[in-house]
Amino acid sequence: MTVKTFNRGVFLPHFKKLSEEKPITTISLPKEVVIPLHQHTGAPCHAVVKAGDKVKTGQKIGESAAFVSALIHSSVDGTVTAVEPRPYFTGTDVESVVIAVNPKQEEPKWPERDPSKLTMDEIKAAVKEAGIVGMGGAAFPTHVKLSPPRAIDAVIINACECEPFLTCDHRLLIESTEALVEGAKLIQKLVDAPKIYFGVETNKPDGIEALNLKIAGDETMEVVALDVKYPQGSEKQLIKAIMDREVPPGKLPFDVGVVVQNVATAIAVCEACRFQKPLYERVLTLTGDGAAKPGNVRVRIGTPIGHIIEQCGGFKGASIEEGELDTSEVRYPVFAPPHLVGKIVMGGPMTGWAQSRLDVPVVKGSSGILIFTPAMVVKTEHTACVRCAKCVEHCPMFLYPNYIGTYAETGRYSQAAEWGAMDCFECGICVYVCPSNRPIVQFVRETKKQIAAARAAK
Amino acid sequence: MVDQELQLTISPSPHLRSPATVSHAMRDVLLALAPVTAVSLYWFKFSAVFLIIVCLGAAVLTELLFRKILKRPATLRDGSALVTGLLVALCFGAGTAWWTAILATFIGIGLAKELMGGLGWNRFNPALFGRLAVIMLVPIFNYVTVTFAPLRPFFGALDVVTQATPLAMLKQGALQTDLGSLLLAHPGGALGETSAIAVLLGGAYLIYKKHISWHIPASILGTVFVYGLIAEGNFSLALVHILAGGVLLGAFFMATDWVTSPITPKGKLIFGTAIGVLLMSFRVLLGPTEGMAFSILIMNACVPIIDRITKRPRFGEVAVQEAAVPAAVKPAVGKSN
Repeated sequence: MTVKTFNRGVFLPHFKKLSEEKPITTISLPKEVVIPLHQHTGAPCHAVVKAGDKVKTGQKIGESAAFVSALIHSSVDGTVTAVEPRPYFTGTDVESVVIAVNPKQEEPKWPERDPSKLTMDEIKAAVKEAGIVGMGGAAFPTHVKLSPPRAIDAVIINACECEPFLTCDHRLLIESTEALVEGAKLIQKLVDAPKIYFGVETNKPDGIEALNLKIAGDETMEVVALDVKYPQGSEKQLIKAIMDREVPPGKLPFDVGVVVQNVATAIAVCEACRFQKPLYERVLTLTGDGAAKPGNVRVRIGTPIGHIIEQCGGFKGASIEEGELDTSEVRYPVFAPPHLVGKIVMGGPMTGWAQSRLDVPVVKGSSGILIFTPAMVVKTEHTACVRCAKCVEHCPMFLYPNYIGTYAETGRYSQAAEWGAMDCFECGICVYVCPSNRPIVQFVRETKKQIAAARAAK
Repeated sequence: MVDQELQLTISPSPHLRSPATVSHAMRDVLLALAPVTAVSLYWFKFSAVFLIIVCLGAAVLTELLFRKILKRPATLRDGSALVTGLLVALCFGAGTAWWTAILATFIGIGLAKELMGGLGWNRFNPALFGRLAVIMLVPIFNYVTVTFAPLRPFFGALDVVTQATPLAMLKQGALQTDLGSLLLAHPGGALGETSAIAVLLGGAYLIYKKHISWHIPASILGTVFVYGLIAEGNFSLALVHILAGGVLLGAFFMATDWVTSPITPKGKLIFGTAIGVLLMSFRVLLGPTEGMAFSILIMNACVPIIDRITKRPRFGEVAVQEAAVPAAVKPAVGKSN
């Protein structure tokens, strides 16, 4: 088996043992779901429901006239109690539809149809109607990505899952292989590409095997084994590894004739076409050294992370007994002493967001909830750059994180941009390897903000 | 327990760190310097012990003092003061007067490092800067010793450079030392020049631990050898140029200093080659001593420009893939509305 990869990057400890063999389970519904109206890249949606309205699972509750946007659907049967700003995982408040969940849920019915009979326009309409976005984390509206303005000669299904800890795509790869392949074929048909590649890191041999069995005999599909290297699942690095094409700075994958879709997204496309099922639930990994029962769970969009943690056994060392929780109110009580929990991260450990509260809802792009004990919490104090060049050696974009950091730290943003800040996709490797513990990703974000502000001022 | 506040840490991504720290690296450098330090202790016994302790102590105290005066947080734990102190000691001969060694350490750490902003902001290698500053000050020392002649017993000998090193003898055409003893152990010159093999061992360790790359030492030694071969017209004399003097110590421990050397492999090769050419030009055209220190410091000053001219293209910047992409730009399939 030939194993492909890209240049540079870094080998991380992957911590996937915690949850990689745990089959996907479902958990009970919370008392309330909070569905942000802006959980994708592009224009925010506006609510099409108001407080007091009864909503059904899968009913459209938010829409936008903009092309680059994604519809929002209710994830439960319930009653809208408010449309108001609520905490979002990035730390800001986002306009959200708050729905009180009916104790009695009606099983949603999705009429099945044969997706192979759908026309291109029907596929695209189905994807758009389902509100599908990239579920690897970036949450870019999928119907936009599937409308490339130029010829595409390959579809890549991103099954790398290069972030440590996360295993939800791995589980989907094994448990929903058929839906994944069907979704991939629909995407292929839509962009009229002759070939589909499935990029899988070699730490998922069962996934590679399952896919190979499924696609056996089909010349248009190929499983590509990829080295377990971070950030193998980044689009540009993935295209480089599989196709040996480099997406130029500021360009997108379609500029080199490729469309990349994540595993969960492809499955969502399949479900949207076969059942007309909107994207109102997703699989995520709840894990970390502080999680009592690490595993992979299917949750409704809008479920507060506190509810998921609670349903998954809570924090390690502080088991949750029935009745211990105050369930009369819809809030997620604190049920662990601080010496057991140091940090809770939404997403992967390299690019995810640390959370300060547990009523933050899961959104379409949430791939994991990580619970770290205080021992796993990294120090944030940093010292000056000693020019060891480890960041330069490992940067997958071939930038100079050392210079970006030093210039941005001293307020010289245009020089930080000159050394590549604007091309950075914030994978976090430079911070990971830095012996001076410099928060280079923060410096990059500040540079992007300042440069954007300077451009806007012109 | 239910009402207890969660004390969650909020910090930006990434939430993982590699175990590498500056202090780990500095500890490894000290470890890598252990063999040559041991050989020098073997040859010079107490005088070497004394010199090393004096330099280490002066390094630590200078850093503490400057940090205190400049109101900066203490950074002794990064270990860079100990590395600089030991390197200064290894640059001197065993008979060096204690106060010259202290002065060199003080200037190196105080001026070349702390006044520049501390570790990371220094443009010149602190140990070499201190060493050369003392050499430059020799005329003043002479004046002082003559003026305050009665104090001479207290201050000790003035010799900073006048020992008969193999290089000096080579220059005078009177080389007595054979290659074998130069390679293994030879009690001439500075402490750090006593054993080529011990320095090589330390350098190999640093390369193995990935603290330094091979580019700088290889380009320096390669250039010195080729230049030596041309200038001396003799294979073994070219080898003497590598083995004698501070070339090895400089090539593995000083020129490779993270802070004061270029970032990219290409830049490192340019840097190393330039050091080699400068060093040999000094040796061939000028006096036999301090060539290595001067060459490295001169090239330290050129590092920003080397980094700039060797700047690598960003990912995707080299448009090589155009041919691989389907040439025809056909209308978008199923263009939305």
